[in-house]
Amino acid sequence: MKRTPVFALAVIATVVAVGGLRAQQPPRFDHLKHAGLFPTCTGCHQGAEDPEQPIFPDSAACATCHDGTTRPYVAWRRPAEGRPSNLKFAHELVPLMTRETPQGTQTLSCEDCHVAPGGQRMAVRRATPEGCLACHGPGVTQHLAAPDSLCQTCHLPLVRAAALRPADVAGFPAPPSHQAPNFVSRAGHGALAKGTSEPVAASCTVCHAREFCVTCHVDAPEQPAIQALGADARSQAIAVRLAAPASHRESDFLSRHGGMMREDSRACATCHTRESCLACHAPSQRVSAALHASGEGRGQGAHPVRHPPESHRENFTARHPQAAATTPASCAGCHVRTDCLECHRPAAGSRPGYHPAGFLTIHPAAAYARQTSCSDCHNVGSFCATCHASAGLVSSGPLRSGYHDASRFFVAGHGQAARQSLESCTACHVERDCLTCHSATGGRRFNPHGPGFDANRLRRKNPEMCVACHGATIPTR
Amino acid sequence: MGGAALKPHLTYVAAGVTLLLAGRWGELGAQQYRIRLDTRAQQVSYRGVTLDSIPVADTVSTPGRGPTSPDGFAVLCLSGVPYCTFFRPGPWRNGGPLTSTVDLTAWGLGVTGLSVHAAARLGIDFGTADVWPGTEPAVQLLEGYAEYAVTRATARLGRQVVASRLGTTGFDGAGVVLRDARRGVEIDGYAGWGLARGVALPVTSPVLNPLDDFQPRQRQLVAGAGAGWTKGPADVRLDYLREVDPGTDHFVSERVGLGATLRPIPGVQLAGGADYDIAAGWWGSAEATLTYAQSKVQASVGARRYRPHFDLWTIWGAFSPVPYHAVQASVAVTAIRRLELRGRWEGYEFEEAETSTPLFSAKRDGWRWELGGTYRPLSGLAVDASYRQEYGPGAGVAAVAGTITYEPSRRLTVVLLGSQATRPLEFRFNEAEVRVFGLDAQLEPSQRVRLGASVDRYREIHRRPDAGAFDWNQWRVSGRVVLLFGSPADLRGLPPSIRMLPGGRSER
Repeated sequence: MKRTPVFALAVIATVVAVGGLRAQQPPRFDHLKHAGLFPTCTGCHQGAEDPEQPIFPDSAACATCHDGTTRPYVAWRRPAEGRPSNLKFAHELVPLMTRETPQGTQTLSCEDCHVAPGGQRMAVRRATPEGCLACHGPGVTQHLAAPDSLCQTCHLPLVRAAALRPADVAGFPAPPSHQAPNFVSRAGHGALAKGTSEPVAASCTVCHAREFCVTCHVDAPEQPAIQALGADARSQAIAVRLAAPASHRESDFLSRHGGMMREDSRACATCHTRESCLACHAPSQRVSAALHASGEGRGQGAHPVRHPPESHRENFTARHPQAAATTPASCAGCHVRTDCLECHRPAAGSRPGYHPAGFLTIHPAAAYARQTSCSDCHNVGSFCATCHASAGLVSSGPLRSGYHDASRFFVAGHGQAARQSLESCTACHVERDCLTCHSATGGRRFNPHGPGFDANRLRRKNPEMCVACHGATIPTR
Repeated sequence: MGGAALKPHLTYVAAGVTLLLAGRWGELGAQQYRIRLDTRAQQVSYRGVTLDSIPVADTVSTPGRGPTSPDGFAVLCLSGVPYCTFFRPGPWRNGGPLTSTVDLTAWGLGVTGLSVHAAARLGIDFGTADVWPGTEPAVQLLEGYAEYAVTRATARLGRQVVASRLGTTGFDGAGVVLRDARRGVEIDGYAGWGLARGVALPVTSPVLNPLDDFQPRQRQLVAGAGAGWTKGPADVRLDYLREVDPGTDHFVSERVGLGATLRPIPGVQLAGGADYDIAAGWWGSAEATLTYAQSKVQASVGARRYRPHFDLWTIWGAFSPVPYHAVQASVAVTAIRRLELRGRWEGYEFEEAETSTPLFSAKRDGWRWELGGTYRPLSGLAVDASYRQEYGPGAGVAAVAGTITYEPSRRLTVVLLGSQATRPLEFRFNEAEVRVFGLDAQLEPSQRVRLGASVDRYREIHRRPDAGAFDWNQWRVSGRVVLLFGSPADLRGLPPSIRMLPGGRSER
């Protein structure tokens, strides 16, 4: 109920506004009411015969009768001449236009265009495009449903329709062909534009000029059809939004687009500049080499948004080593070394990046069983041993079960733990710790060699290693 | 031998080329550059242990417990040894590491395709003791090379890092990549004087030998080659790497690796690979993973094997490190629009170590799993929680962690975090509980400036029935400033929407 006053006010305001607008417009001339007064059209519309004359009469002619005494004054005024248009039509051509009738060839008259079929002579209406198409097209056809090839029959190319303002251009209706699903593709508007013997289809020129195409087309300078268009900045009044084709929305597009480009880079070069590629492929200039650099006469092109592919989502941190090892070129498509070094060579002053917060306090579990290959990033000497040494966690002096106090017999039974987690051992122990017992010359001669040990191969590759324990007398197996 | 004589020269040549190009900067036509300066500082205090001993006669015996020191530390006494050992709390150590990393890329040097890249790091420890790893030497050249790139080839000269399934290989030398993009073929090769693993220092650096262990006297010569083929749904790559001690002409390592990725249908990927240690004569690590990734579901199952790799200038390879074999699975699901759930599991078992271990044996197998979820109740607000357990040889973990991330705009991110972990050790009588609470903030006042700060409180409780359960609590405070400098040409022609992309080109 409370809405009623508001609604009433809105209605009143609308009525007042519409009334006000109507009050500003001159009244239309009622042709039918004056049917008996004017036997011919050209009596008033002299311009229809003589282009030197105005098409509309002077309002002073109305005052001949509407003098305020015989008839009341009227407020009719002559419409402004030269309404912006891109029509090729001129009234003086009408006498040259003919049509075939059962009675023979007849010259067109005013009524043929301005009176509905079967209507009274002075029941005048504006001429419609459908009327033109009745003769110049495939028959009675809706204006925009006519083939695009017919546009230039009645309309001037945009570049020659000098009277049109940008607002007029912006108001051009789009023909149904432009709504086709594939119209944005090369098979759509591309085929339409090139579908004639001319460099560019004349129908395109009616609404468009080169600047319009450059809105999207990065390859405009390389497209003959676009270059065949005239230049006219008014064409940019038609708003167009570069939409990604359907293929770009497929979930695996990011992983496939490289191969697609290698197969046919022309398709990519339509909408993408090198800068498009560089938004993501910053380190790899070669990726974008097949595309045009942005510049004069080219569109800015698509603005890709950098985002990781689906494969990079949850848990990718743990999975990425395989991909990086197998396809480093794929990684290098988007990543520069600095990206890797952010985590793989952390600065001493930084918080953990690769590892979760507080990882230092729980790192033994990951280190003992080598959840990942720690030494790819951390040098055992400079990183692990240095830190362990400052914390007192390194061997010093004779080996005892000092730190490994969970079992009194750890020293005697450490072999399994050592072979399983030898990298961890080296973070606190040096070779001489082990040689105390495992050397064949100065130690207790405990044999450290285990499964997989290939003495001959190692001796062949680097006998220095054998000398460390066996001295100059390296045994052979 | 000749390589040893030449080795300093190459570094000097690369540095000279870089300086020469830099010096001629002003004379050249269309120079463009990017400089990223990343400075971080952290204040850390922590406490280790100190080995101590007392005569056996001074130990105290308590009924039902082992011997202790008079002040309550459990001691270890071995028969026949006149004293017992134990670990006292070590002194408090304060570390104040500051690192400043400079990344430079410059091009437009008069030759199309020629560019110069350099990454260097300054590291200083402002703490009371020089205890923080990685801060010596103070200046380290991580990478520094000149690159010439055309469509079919790229050549580099200088200090560089090559990443492959054999790990990251740093060296001072030259590398070239040849490619045929239409056929999807890429071949690369490189050679030079190697750097140590995991660090931008030669293996001869004293910094890498804090425990005074054996160390080579000369840098190893590195040579590697690789070939990759990428076509449609398949990627295959073969890598070969050898390192030779120029002093003895003996191998330091020789390995080969093969990896492949198949994408049979959209969203499905099968990746696998293996490496073989030619020098040691055994298979190294290997893995195979089947991954399914769509917008709402990502899942993977796989198997892997891990065996550590040791250079032959150490004796560690002769101790026959055994590999472990693991199977794993993970899944992440967007259950509802604002809720993502994830889980992963891995079980592993070491190969038979073939050791005789009287009276003591270590665990041979283990597992790790995690469940977690992220809920985004509002735009810019995310709540994440996870629980994980890990149990295997040497150590275990049971931890719960959570974060609340508030990101009112992409210029500001505030993260509140907390976690609690229990971490038992297998080889030491210790079961610690660690609680961490922290606050982290990142601010980007402009495209070229990024600021960050964090503060964390670590509370560590050692569950030991003796005086060894001392306080390890600590505060950690860190700060970060990232500045980006670049010639305007760097971003010329890029729409603002691209220039402002997080992680995009303008940030490099």
